[in-house]
Amino acid sequence: MERRAAAPVAGVGLIALAAATLPLITRDSYYLDVATTILMNLTLTMSFRLQVSTGQINMAHISFMGIGAYASALLVTRVGLSFWATLWLGALVAALLAVPIGSVALRVSGPYYFLITFAFSEVVRLFFNNFFEGLFGGPSGLVGIPKPGRLLGLVFDGKPALYGLMAVLCLIVVVALVRLDYSRFGLTAGAIRQADLVAETLGVNVFRYKLTAFVLGSFVAGLAGVFFAHFRQVLHSSDFGLEPMVLLVVFTVIGGTGSVWGPVIGTIVMTLASELLRELHHYEILVFGAVLILTMLFAPEGLVALSGAARRRLRRLRGRAPAQAGAGLAP
Amino acid sequence: MLELTDLSVHYGNVAAVDGVSVTVQAGEIVAIIGPNGAGKTSTLRALSGLVRPSAGRIVFRGVDISRWRAHRIVTLGLSHAPEGRRLFPQMTVLENLRMGAYRRRDGRAIERTLGEVLERFPRLGERRRQLAGTLSGGEQQMLTIGRALMSSPTMLVLDEPSFGLAPLIVREIRTIVESINRDRKVAVLLVEQNARMALAVAARAYVMETGRIVLSGPAAALRESPHVKAAYLGG
Repeated sequence: MERRAAAPVAGVGLIALAAATLPLITRDSYYLDVATTILMNLTLTMSFRLQVSTGQINMAHISFMGIGAYASALLVTRVGLSFWATLWLGALVAALLAVPIGSVALRVSGPYYFLITFAFSEVVRLFFNNFFEGLFGGPSGLVGIPKPGRLLGLVFDGKPALYGLMAVLCLIVVVALVRLDYSRFGLTAGAIRQADLVAETLGVNVFRYKLTAFVLGSFVAGLAGVFFAHFRQVLHSSDFGLEPMVLLVVFTVIGGTGSVWGPVIGTIVMTLASELLRELHHYEILVFGAVLILTMLFAPEGLVALSGAARRRLRRLRGRAPAQAGAGLAP
Repeated sequence: MLELTDLSVHYGNVAAVDGVSVTVQAGEIVAIIGPNGAGKTSTLRALSGLVRPSAGRIVFRGVDISRWRAHRIVTLGLSHAPEGRRLFPQMTVLENLRMGAYRRRDGRAIERTLGEVLERFPRLGERRRQLAGTLSGGEQQMLTIGRALMSSPTMLVLDEPSFGLAPLIVREIRTIVESINRDRKVAVLLVEQNARMALAVAARAYVMETGRIVLSGPAAALRESPHVKAAYLGG
């Protein structure tokens, strides 16, 4: 992974450009809805991949989105705070809860970590579903969440305005996470993923690194959750259950977890695909499963690595360079 | 400089290391030889803080590090080149080397060390932008040692540097170890199954079998020992 200074700037610029031009092309509320969903999913997948980059597959990532969502919804409806305060407070609540939870879960690794976070996510979902029904709305969901209030004279009642808000949030997240990935943090995270014990003997406090990624990722997930709550205006515990979590994993893995750009490609492609496959209803997840299997078989490094792989194959066909061993997927 | 006293390491009820005492003086090359499963690597894992010793003490430069966590130990100047050439395969040679200087903050001094390492291993310089996973076995071993040198250590621990390498490369590695020790006054603790190589390069050596030290002394004397001859040097 060669770290060039031009790549992050170009990548972020491209995303910003795409996000800015879309409302100029169409004001159709359906397309804006899809685009908003893409951006929201992007903040989730990129913050998920931040954790994958240190070797953790956090199956409770979606729960921190839920925690941010419920926290903000309640702070607005019960306490009367402004959305613009709860936007950050909700994310903060998710991050603060991530500290003790991460500290416990990160004592183990590999499949155990996967299981412990999965168990936690079920606890969170059942908690929202079955406890404090007066507060969380129970099985019928939490309704009546207001849209964001005015800010600096801007009104956020229509799709274009909400799209714009999500675009700004998403770009802040993208810039922050891309910068992080191209920094010493990103290099060290890669070292942990590829050989954590070696990284530890070289002086890396692996546990603290993983916890930092966990808490930071949870903050971003919480941020996405807050937006989600006031965008949809209805919350249901199943919004943060296993199925959306699996989709989050699928989006990220199909894009490729080895690069910070993987989730970008995966999210755009897969969100569009899921809109196109909408008519298949419940079979949609089957198609995703098949796509995931095909990706694992034929492009284990994800869609983002396809161009490099194609170039290598082409070169080999022309016989210019000897066959080079692929870098492979991180173990 | 380094003192292991009555060190024991247990995995569950099984003792992998059972009361081992080893000392290394400043600037010295010391080898631990022994067959597979003798507890050599477990000894090193305790030394690097990856497992907690169940008994005994590890003192490095006057500091008891027996209970230290691994990431702190390197700050004292103790650096590891782990067995099996454990690199970061998806990183370039240069990135691997930079990770070796992780604990250092003095940018200019790091660049100087980098220059020295690339001078010592010209082949790493040629391949500096290549992914570490695509290097040959010998090059990977050199990168492992080079990365360990990047922390500018006062003591280097090498775990099976000759493992799986062709005799010619083993000789090259041996020359490198000797020159590192000579030029930089770095003490070396060498753990090897290749007793011939280890006893040629070390001043003193320990023979480890089933978790205990069974023989120790100057390398020259061990080369003449009937037990070592019969068991490790092929008669």
